[in-house]
Amino acid sequence: MADKVSIYDENGELAEGVERIRTQCYFCHANCGVLAYVKDGDVIKIEGDPDYNNQGGLCCRGTSALLHVNHPARINHALKRAGEKGENKWEQIPYDQAIKEVAERLNQIKAESGAEAVASAGGTTRTDDWARRRFLNQFGTPNGFHNALLCWIPTFMAETVVAGWSPFETDLGAAKCLILWGMNPAASSLPSMHGYTDLQLAGMKIIYVDPRFSETACKADLWLPLRPGSDTALSLAMLNVIINEFLYDFEFVDQWCDGFEELREHMAPYTPEWAAPITWLDPEDIRKAARMYATTKPGCIQWGCSWDQFGPASATGSQARQLMRAITGNLEVPGGDGMPGPALNFITDEELELNELLPEEQKAKQIGSDKFKLTSWPGYTLISNNAKRTWGKTLPAEWFCEAHGPSVFKAILTGEPYQIRALICNATNPVNSYGDSKMTLAALKKVEFLVTVDYWMTPAALFSDYVFPAAGALERPTIVTHYGATDSVMGGRRAIQPKFDRHTDMSFWRMLGLACGQDPANWPWETEEEVYSYIIAPLGLPCTDWNDFVNNIRMYYPPLHQNKYVTRGGFWTPTGKIECNSTILRELGYPGMPTYLPCAENDIDNPELAEEYPIVLTTGGGFMPYHHSEHFQMQGMRYLYPDPYYSINPELAEKLGIEHGDWCWIETQRGRIKMRANVEPEVDPRVVFVPRGWWFPERDTNIDLDNPFGCLESNTNVLTSVDEWDCDPMGGSWANRGLMCKVYKCTEADHEWNAKDKTWSIPGCAKNPGISTDPEDLKHRVLRWEKIPFEAPACTKEVPEGFSWQWQNDALYQDSTQFRLDDSGWLIDPKTNEYVDAHTGWYYVAAENCLMDKATGKKYTMEREEIAELAGIRLYPGQDAPYAVPEQLTWDREKGYARLGDKPYIYNPESGWLIDPATNVYHDAYYGWAYDPTTNGLIDEETGKRYTMSYEAIEE
Amino acid sequence: MTRYAMVIDQRRCIGCHSCTVACRTWNDLPLDIIYNPVVTEGAQGKWPHVHRTYTPTLCMHCANPECVPCCPTGASQQDDDGVVWVDSKKCMACKVCVNACPYGMRDTSVLGPRLHRFVRKCTFCKDRRAEEPGSMPYCVQTCHQKARIFGDLDDPNSEVSKLVNSLHTERLFTEHGTEPQVYYIPDLGGQR
Repeated sequence: MADKVSIYDENGELAEGVERIRTQCYFCHANCGVLAYVKDGDVIKIEGDPDYNNQGGLCCRGTSALLHVNHPARINHALKRAGEKGENKWEQIPYDQAIKEVAERLNQIKAESGAEAVASAGGTTRTDDWARRRFLNQFGTPNGFHNALLCWIPTFMAETVVAGWSPFETDLGAAKCLILWGMNPAASSLPSMHGYTDLQLAGMKIIYVDPRFSETACKADLWLPLRPGSDTALSLAMLNVIINEFLYDFEFVDQWCDGFEELREHMAPYTPEWAAPITWLDPEDIRKAARMYATTKPGCIQWGCSWDQFGPASATGSQARQLMRAITGNLEVPGGDGMPGPALNFITDEELELNELLPEEQKAKQIGSDKFKLTSWPGYTLISNNAKRTWGKTLPAEWFCEAHGPSVFKAILTGEPYQIRALICNATNPVNSYGDSKMTLAALKKVEFLVTVDYWMTPAALFSDYVFPAAGALERPTIVTHYGATDSVMGGRRAIQPKFDRHTDMSFWRMLGLACGQDPANWPWETEEEVYSYIIAPLGLPCTDWNDFVNNIRMYYPPLHQNKYVTRGGFWTPTGKIECNSTILRELGYPGMPTYLPCAENDIDNPELAEEYPIVLTTGGGFMPYHHSEHFQMQGMRYLYPDPYYSINPELAEKLGIEHGDWCWIETQRGRIKMRANVEPEVDPRVVFVPRGWWFPERDTNIDLDNPFGCLESNTNVLTSVDEWDCDPMGGSWANRGLMCKVYKCTEADHEWNAKDKTWSIPGCAKNPGISTDPEDLKHRVLRWEKIPFEAPACTKEVPEGFSWQWQNDALYQDSTQFRLDDSGWLIDPKTNEYVDAHTGWYYVAAENCLMDKATGKKYTMEREEIAELAGIRLYPGQDAPYAVPEQLTWDREKGYARLGDKPYIYNPESGWLIDPATNVYHDAYYGWAYDPTTNGLIDEETGKRYTMSYEAIEE
Repeated sequence: MTRYAMVIDQRRCIGCHSCTVACRTWNDLPLDIIYNPVVTEGAQGKWPHVHRTYTPTLCMHCANPECVPCCPTGASQQDDDGVVWVDSKKCMACKVCVNACPYGMRDTSVLGPRLHRFVRKCTFCKDRRAEEPGSMPYCVQTCHQKARIFGDLDDPNSEVSKLVNSLHTERLFTEHGTEPQVYYIPDLGGQR
């Protein structure tokens, strides 16, 4: 400790040369504030920012940021493959050269096979993803993807088709009841957990839905330990109870809900008794939870990540929960769930993406968009057009409109629907984070050209042709706008410049774009600070740039979103109402109302499967101190949790002869992994819980290419399914929760991961290796894909060219702007409710009865003739004076203004002053003397003599 | 007088181990030393009627410590404000104090050269508080849940003093008579 650099001097002030920089942690989505103490361009100390949402708190990960930035295993230079793929032999080359070589190869692939043969994988928010989309759009490929389909995006879309946006802004301060469903904030979102605990100690009730007795469960008021993967059945039953017991808000439903009677009829079979065998819950407990939520108002339902991981039943469950919020009157009320909408007063991510540059025929090639339509171009187009028509802006295409990741990996292996030849992995370790890891690893090995941008040597990086070093959170500024889907901004400054040859992700995409020959005008910003300054500029906040914003403002939060649907005259759906029977879902060929689909594997639908695999498996839960597959390199954290453990109930463990700490195999149809047993009654005796993320980055010598870094050995995603019929037909979520497995102890003879554990197939089955996309014996499952025919009513109107007709509200919208064509013949801008000229796009200015082009600021007459202006004063060239000209002035008919003698000043009829257009100085209208604001007098510029405002000379 | 003490609110603790890792980074601890482990008891009971408690620990900075008088070199000592600490220059790593502590809250690292070994323990971040006046021990600042509360028990306006004098608190192993100065607000369930 003695050699610690002191950041304070003897007076307790910051020592000379030490700067305190407000930066932000980027190791999970809580994005806590961090104070970085920087000296000589290096961070010497960090601590939690007490003036931020984390109130000085930092978790294991945040606290270790300094170890992360200087970790010896970090990749610090661009690496070019020197040996065979996976041989781990690299040539260190300059970053620029690597970019140039990658760009040449990508351009070559594009020329040979089309831009769509290049795909890009991401993980969760770690980077400026708009930059990636900006690159991909200009390059021309629709095949970018993240783990978005396992995390919020299908829920967001399902909620949006019901009410116009996702209600993720919970007004907990005024809430009386909170449902935490499928999330464990005590391990994944610590600042939020602090808030929940404070409010709970002050009286708020917490209903907790989770199959595991998690850290959060032990603090809850009512805990529903349901069968993993049966959440959709529970939400349908709760919705049924709320409708059948008349617990909904009659007035709200009457006034704002469209199709409620249809919904009542549709929900009738989903009784608590129906749900009981599926969920393993007592019907009375389901009733109790529904009643508690519906009658303890106002209340919130907090989104949980597992909502998007149930496989087939994911999005429909989110839709049911959105309807629960809506009909109980908990949407957009104080203490309820608010819908922020896109940022109307700063630049959204969508506006940075250049989606208009991606041609329609390329959009149509997006992999998975023919199946999982809600979260790809078909659904996004409907939802995004509707957002533009109602909010005036829309949600980003990045995250919300992506290729189906597992289908891209399959396309690499099968060449169907076409061959993917190049893959760029940015901020992801796909083997650990995507489903069916053995198949994913095979795809990474097979893809012709693989590029990885990462902090570490991951399995993906190992098989890459080029590896680029990424700059971490302390080495770049950060901005948080929640996937570009909200109207608040938070952020942090860059503490230090990237070390070594590390580059930020934005510079990677920018440099790659320019090297690929993209227009430099489309990449105008060199640094993140420039972009972020541009993003927040329209807010008009009292700050000069991004750093100034962070130093002095840090967070921009508009007032809470409440009752906007009343003030704006409707919800942001095509019908303007809560759509109980969603028109957008029906248009896409899906049921418009929440319709039960069982989770991917269960003993009710597949009893034969349950005979071989009798135990219910739930995977994917986050646990301290790791985040996804990150931080396994960090010794200081790893010592807390050095080995992988799964949880098993003592009753089941006893039956299987398993003791605490025993290494066991956990096996599904797709394969098996081994973990140590945590024998603890934190799960049901019929269930095992397997946490996510495990790999062993320390195994970096003599790498086994079948199982590099042990990435298949204890990786829960070996067990999960990405088979088409196990994915959500709407949102594409694959199946992480509610699978069937068996568990057995590792024996002496069968203790090590071996060659037979590497077999894989499409569809996922370890027993029949090989690729078969024709599931003959699985026809009954494929029925989920049957499209429900939908025909919009016939159009009754004449549709002018450049306009589209929306059947839901019988209105016309201009294609280029999505502004509604009013009966008056004007377009209406939904952001401001201003009238816009349909021919020119100029806005009507009522005060001056003229039109204005907002892009140039030029004004036009109602006859669309340009209005001449000088120094902000309207001119009337060639006309008689339209106002009374004072007698001492003369009307200059040619130029169109009144002047004093031959002086070059223009008369302003509104203020009575003359303005010098060259200097903008005011001059009085009698003598032409200039106004001097410092003395509040006049000055004759020719003689220098001064006068009072009443023209009396001042003797000096 | 000043008498430093800590209150640990078990109703708030969620067992995230942030304090443990924070302490490690601030004090630059070797891997085999932990000053403030969080002890998880449970889940216990028969499913689904189960419960679990988290007990964050650290040196209890006892009013009547057993680890100070037993030290043969005078390295283990207590300040007037109650903080028990070890002067590493005087310590010869005989570990008498390690055996004396009923809480097992001090030890030597076996990593590194033998001659450089000394007994390490929590000091309520004595160095940190001296360097930055008014600052808290790092485990207290870093706790998201604000489950650790630090302050002067002799100051009637301090939060620790208010909590200890208004809520039911418990202390660990009081039968040893060491008068530990870490007070626990137990998570009994149902107190909400």
